[in-house]
Amino acid sequence: MRDVLLVALREFRQIVATRGFWVMLLIVPLAIGVSVLVSSRFAPSPSVAYVLVDESGRLESRLEQRLERDYQRQVLRELATYVERWQLGAVDPAAPWAQRGSWLVEPELSRFVDQGGAEAALQRLRPSIPAEAPEFELPERLYHRFSPPAELATTEDPEAFGEAITPLMKEEIETASGKMPLALAIYIPENFGASAAAARVWTNGRFNSGLLNVVQDELTKELQLGVLQASGVGSETATQVQSLAAPIIITEPAAGEERGFFATRSVIPVALMYLLMITAITTGSMMLQGLIEERSNKLLESVLACIHPSALMNGKLLGLGGVGLGIILVWAGCAVAAALSSSGAIADALRMSIEALDQPWMWGAMIFYFLAGYLILSTIFLGIGALSDSMQDAQSYLGPVLLIFMLPLIVMMQASLRDPNSTVTQVLSWIPIYTPFAMLTRLGSGVSLAELIGTTVLVVLFIAAQLIVLGRLFQASVLNAGKPSLRDIIAMMKARAT
Amino acid sequence: MPAEGGDNLNRAILSFESVTKRFGDFTAVHELSFAVQEGGVFGFLGGNGAGKTTSLRMALDILRPSEGRIEVLGRIPSRENAAEIGFLPEERGLYRNMKVLDTVVYFGRLKGMEPGAARKSALELLERFGLADRTKSPVGKLSKGMAQKVQLATALVNSPRLLLLDEPFSGLDPVNQTILEDAITDAARNASTVVFSTHVMQHAERLCDRLLLLAQGRKVFDGTKDEARAALPSRLTLTSRLDPASLPSVSEARLVWSHDDGWAEYQVELRPGSEPGELLETCTQQGFALRSFDITRPTLHEVFIHFVGAEQEIVR
Repeated sequence: MRDVLLVALREFRQIVATRGFWVMLLIVPLAIGVSVLVSSRFAPSPSVAYVLVDESGRLESRLEQRLERDYQRQVLRELATYVERWQLGAVDPAAPWAQRGSWLVEPELSRFVDQGGAEAALQRLRPSIPAEAPEFELPERLYHRFSPPAELATTEDPEAFGEAITPLMKEEIETASGKMPLALAIYIPENFGASAAAARVWTNGRFNSGLLNVVQDELTKELQLGVLQASGVGSETATQVQSLAAPIIITEPAAGEERGFFATRSVIPVALMYLLMITAITTGSMMLQGLIEERSNKLLESVLACIHPSALMNGKLLGLGGVGLGIILVWAGCAVAAALSSSGAIADALRMSIEALDQPWMWGAMIFYFLAGYLILSTIFLGIGALSDSMQDAQSYLGPVLLIFMLPLIVMMQASLRDPNSTVTQVLSWIPIYTPFAMLTRLGSGVSLAELIGTTVLVVLFIAAQLIVLGRLFQASVLNAGKPSLRDIIAMMKARAT
Repeated sequence: MPAEGGDNLNRAILSFESVTKRFGDFTAVHELSFAVQEGGVFGFLGGNGAGKTTSLRMALDILRPSEGRIEVLGRIPSRENAAEIGFLPEERGLYRNMKVLDTVVYFGRLKGMEPGAARKSALELLERFGLADRTKSPVGKLSKGMAQKVQLATALVNSPRLLLLDEPFSGLDPVNQTILEDAITDAARNASTVVFSTHVMQHAERLCDRLLLLAQGRKVFDGTKDEARAALPSRLTLTSRLDPASLPSVSEARLVWSHDDGWAEYQVELRPGSEPGELLETCTQQGFALRSFDITRPTLHEVFIHFVGAEQEIVR
């Protein structure tokens, strides 16, 4: 064990002393930090402007009312989330903002608007908002009406209007709410609804389906209203028909329960799976490079005169394991520190994810599968290093091996986006080289005790076999020069002693 | 050729007894038996592929023999012996990014030394090899000669009882060869037994007390330098007026050149078992006039050629 620790310490120090290690260690937190900063500070606003020329006079007020109602729906949804996050529902349990799904229910939305919207709600909530809670911020309006120059607004020719408005759509325009792209220009002809009299829409090339759907929806309703009235339905009745919405009552599990709970509980294990993949492959490559250097420098013989090849092999695995764990700890530490020091949605999600891992066995299982996955991958890299004289040699082994390794995992990752317990993931749970990755993916969504025990035994046996085979390979090949054939490799794996 | 007996093996610091090593169908070492007694310098001589490196690797337990028995320091080969062994492999290399002192200390630690003792010994060796001011330099920044000294220090750091050197002079310039020769002599003087393999006879002539000649994995000679030379008759060159072929101990006399005044130089081969001194005595007794009488002992190179054959790759 002393020899193993000596080798491990040397390996650890050697890698930590390289510039590449520090670049890798810092690049992930740095990249996350920069991307968060960029997205929060420099991300383009989702708001767009639109121009409406309504020669018919039938759509203008209808569209504005609809956009305002949609905006209030957005306000209610975010306010309800805020109230739930800071546990303010007790202020008025019957209020629309005290229910998570109320924004989906038209009468509730109407009640919210009738009661004065966000301003009135915040007045009631403010005395109960905890000091650490940030101020509720009204969401940004997505659509802003832009009044075009008079000469454009008064045209009666849609083609001329289109030609005149198109140049404005190429750049951002100045509106009352600031600069933003002009996304849509809508022209409603005077005889809209008559045969062949279509509304015209010009876009800036970036398809804005949200606004376009609203426009089409409201135009359709206007046409439907015309048909109803022509059929003898009174104007008031026709309007009532159009505003009808099926009453629904939505019952959702409380936050942190049922399906939502499984998703929340999966965040950390799945993140760990991705981190495992990144660190194992990165540090495995470093180990590969180190071993090839030792082989090409011909210094292995000096080392092997002092210690057994298995001690050298295990020392390398341990040293590299230490490097990998160190990287994970630093990355995880940065992520937790960044999330906890901020009070945004990421911090909330992370806090909930940690809280969701409320059973100690889950932490144990996560650590076990992480270490097992790391060991399995590192051993493969070490085996390749023991057979290679140069990085070129190593690449010829590494390509097919990584392909075999990565392809099923990519399929699994895609499948697990829909269902963490997909058939692919379940099957891969029982193929040892994929077991740690599949089990980390499934851990949060519930696995049976039998599966946990079974896969643990399987992985332990596989790693033991892997170490024995690698030991033989290592002993037989580290002092050999040249690239062995497949038959040689198999013979080395079978050989008990050199 | 001296024979080694069981007692000899029992007292030896390194012994091979009917050791064979096969790699698949190829036999690298065949039925090899020899013993190295404690103290002195023992040479492993042979051309390329003679089995020198394989034998040393078996002594270090890097390779296991297919048959036979090896004892090192009175024990079977294992890493347990590493604390008392120093080893310099033929193909040398060091961790390029590691500092000089750390490298030597690391190898001392691998051989079981405590950190303090390893550091003290490493500093002394680096001082001795003129590298005291380079202790913090990465090995990759050293010249080749300096790096080889560092490598030698890694072999000597544990003050080994048995120092195994595999082709230690290969790739060294004359200055560093001298330094290494001094180090080998010092090590032998300081109670280490030095075993080194070489195919350069010059080094063996200067350093070895005993020799083992290998050819294609087989032992062809084992004994002292004098015993090796005695295996070939000495060459005698004399200048006389008469042909020495008729003298009793002479088997053949070849005329090299002759002068107008009647004196001629002959290269003489003696009959087996005859000594040049006896011939000189006979000449004096018989009044056989001599102007010169030069005895030339056979070189190790000639001994090697005699035993192994001229086709083996060796260097004088």
